[in-house]
Amino acid sequence: MAQLTLVQALNEALRHELREDPRTLVFGEDVGRLGGVFRVTDGLQEEFGERRVFDTPLAESAIVGSAIGLALAGWRPVCEIQFDGFSYPALDQVITNLAKYRGRTRGRAALPVTIRIPSGGGIGGPEHHGESPETYYAHTAGLKVVAPSGPAEGYQLLRAAIRDPDPVIFLEPKSRYWTKEEVDAAAAGRLGQARIVREGTHATLIAWGAMTARCLQAAEAAAEDGVELEVVDCRSLVPLDVDTLSASVRKTGRAVVVHEAPLTAGFGAEISARLMETIFRDLKAPVLRVTGYDIPYPAAAVEAAYLPDLDRILTAVQKVLDY
Amino acid sequence: MTEFVFRLPDLAEGLEDAEIVEWRVKEGDRVELNQLLGEVQTSKAAVEIPSPRRGLVKTLHALPGDLVRVGEPLVTFEVEDSQPGVVGRVPQEAKPARRVHLRIRRD
Amino acid sequence: MPSLRPDQLKELYRLMAFTRRVDQEAVALQRQGELTAFPPLTGQEAAQVGSAYALQRQDFAFPSYREMGVAIVRGVDLVEYLRAYRGDWNGGLYDLYAHNFGPIASSVGSHALHAVGWAMGAALDGGGKAAIVYFGEGATSEGDVHEAMNFAGIFRAPVVFFVQNNQWAISVPVARQTAAPIHRKAEAYGFPGLRIDGNDVLAVHAATAEALERARAGGGPTLIEALTYRLGAHSTADDPTRYRQAAEVEPWRAQDPLLRLAAQIDDEDFTRQVVEEVEERVRDLRTRLLSAPRAEPEEMFEFVYAEPPATLAAQREELRQWHS
Ligand SMILES: Cc1ncc(C[n+]2csc(CCOP(=O)(O)OP(=O)(O)O)c2C)c(N)n1
Repeated sequence: MAQLTLVQALNEALRHELREDPRTLVFGEDVGRLGGVFRVTDGLQEEFGERRVFDTPLAESAIVGSAIGLALAGWRPVCEIQFDGFSYPALDQVITNLAKYRGRTRGRAALPVTIRIPSGGGIGGPEHHGESPETYYAHTAGLKVVAPSGPAEGYQLLRAAIRDPDPVIFLEPKSRYWTKEEVDAAAAGRLGQARIVREGTHATLIAWGAMTARCLQAAEAAAEDGVELEVVDCRSLVPLDVDTLSASVRKTGRAVVVHEAPLTAGFGAEISARLMETIFRDLKAPVLRVTGYDIPYPAAAVEAAYLPDLDRILTAVQKVLDY
Repeated sequence: MTEFVFRLPDLAEGLEDAEIVEWRVKEGDRVELNQLLGEVQTSKAAVEIPSPRRGLVKTLHALPGDLVRVGEPLVTFEVEDSQPGVVGRVPQEAKPARRVHLRIRRD
Repeated sequence: MPSLRPDQLKELYRLMAFTRRVDQEAVALQRQGELTAFPPLTGQEAAQVGSAYALQRQDFAFPSYREMGVAIVRGVDLVEYLRAYRGDWNGGLYDLYAHNFGPIASSVGSHALHAVGWAMGAALDGGGKAAIVYFGEGATSEGDVHEAMNFAGIFRAPVVFFVQNNQWAISVPVARQTAAPIHRKAEAYGFPGLRIDGNDVLAVHAATAEALERARAGGGPTLIEALTYRLGAHSTADDPTRYRQAAEVEPWRAQDPLLRLAAQIDDEDFTRQVVEEVEERVRDLRTRLLSAPRAEPEEMFEFVYAEPPATLAAQREELRQWHS
């Protein structure tokens, strides 16, 4: 047990997997000597050498495309895309090949590729450095999509993602990179399980990544007003743990989904639909969503007004309470 | 908080040591990235040393007039674990403000 | 190519000195919390100013994120430029058509294709215009840049690919980007490529002027690799001591493009006078920037569509309720 930041926890997870499996590789832009623009790969090249931890040329499509080839040759690539907004040059390789190779080869070729992508806003970054691309990936069959909310989750989920036989898109919440938490370095996680991070009775807040912490803050604020909110961290969007979500909402009868990505066709719509399909009769109010607006991620000076905040979350909670 | 030891970098091809001319900071100062720490004299030139980190100057390992060898500690900083990467800044984790208060309808 | 007159040399020096000084000021403004981030260009003034100086009004420049020197030559208002780095508006607030200078492009390499398309359009319109696109040696690794050059070769687009090989893409040295010299790639796309001393403003100007003229006259694209050096950090948050030795930087300091041009002009009164002029202009810029309006949250809803859908109008109303 140690207090680690999310950056350190992810670094530990990578170190662990590089040690355990000599066929694990870490590569991407600036991950070697620099240790990554967020230092997630700090010290790994020193420890494991330039053959296993290396800088690539500046080419995202090549990073993912070559990861596919490396996986076909029996290696286990963990590649980094430097920022959410730069995952798009690789989207063709991800959608056309990474996601479909297993099927196209009738299950003969597995691609245990992990793509780590620092995601989301809240750090005052320039253009293309604050986006939440989870829906593009969740909509692509054949990919798993994982979004840890903090250091302990990050550590366990990254180890599980690397060990997973399928390609995993691993979305790291940038604004949580420097949060500290106890991390149990022995525990390896499992993909596809949501977690109740706070129990409550009046309504359920559902989130992943950085918004989990925001929802916990909202729940604390609500408690001051005598309202007990349950908070569920999805942890993995694909596969989605519908059972845990619907059990929670069956209990509270009300749900608000919170995400940074825009509203329209955001993953909140999927969760809302699943709840309606599974526990329609238990719902005491429509499932509401508090999300980013339907605009390109805005400039740094005004991003706080774009990201869901306590007022917007609590307003939605009030609405489901009053319904 | 962790310590970061800044060692005298190789300021010019084949440099072996440099003499401290002056410090522009003192122990206990908070410095920004690239803030001027002081000046050293090498066999070739006087060189200004910008701070490689943002943080607190914990120890200055030499006095003006001292000779420091390349690779020896020059300054020890106390730095936060949370250093932003190449873009952006570390968000503050203050308790967020709110205006909305909840009411439970009892009926 | 006619060589530049003495007054033009002095104009180049003024532009470069101003660029350098604004660059330093922008870094200082970032340290003071007035800008959120800034990618300094110090060391690359000759490459930027010399090439942009060869442009004519009707030509179009597509910058990356580090081309403030080109913006200056194109007459872009620096408050409108720097407000992008204050986080007020992504891309910058200036009018691209007023200066034929594109928005700040921070997704590496993708704008090369836009320059090619613009050039194809200019050719369809009858020629006499050229596009220039700026990117770094790191960007040459991107698929988009390859596709852009291939298109340009096939369509004989009037475009100049101006690569500032400043040796580093964040922490990755040029040797990690390509196993062959960058300028030679042009050969494979079927157009001329040349490597020039990017810190020699006259060489930069001459090479770019010739390439632009050939393009305007229907002679097709050119790739120019300008060898230069990023003397500063990748951006204000970057710490280059993590990946490069100070000893590597020193020889490049000796190749400072401003010192080299000053030596050529060899007129100390003039250079001293420029320093004063430039200080005055930078003071004015600082004042104007600090008094420029701050971004309003509601502005984020502007310019998403020509006609905003009703759902978006409702969201805007919701935001207004919280932030007005
Ligand atoms: C598509 C894309 N991938 C990654 C990045 C992150 N990034 C920003 S600048 C940079 C290095 C660019 O190097 P180069 O093209 O040589 O230009 P320079 O910064 O040296 O001017 C990287 C990797 C980006 N902005 N866009």
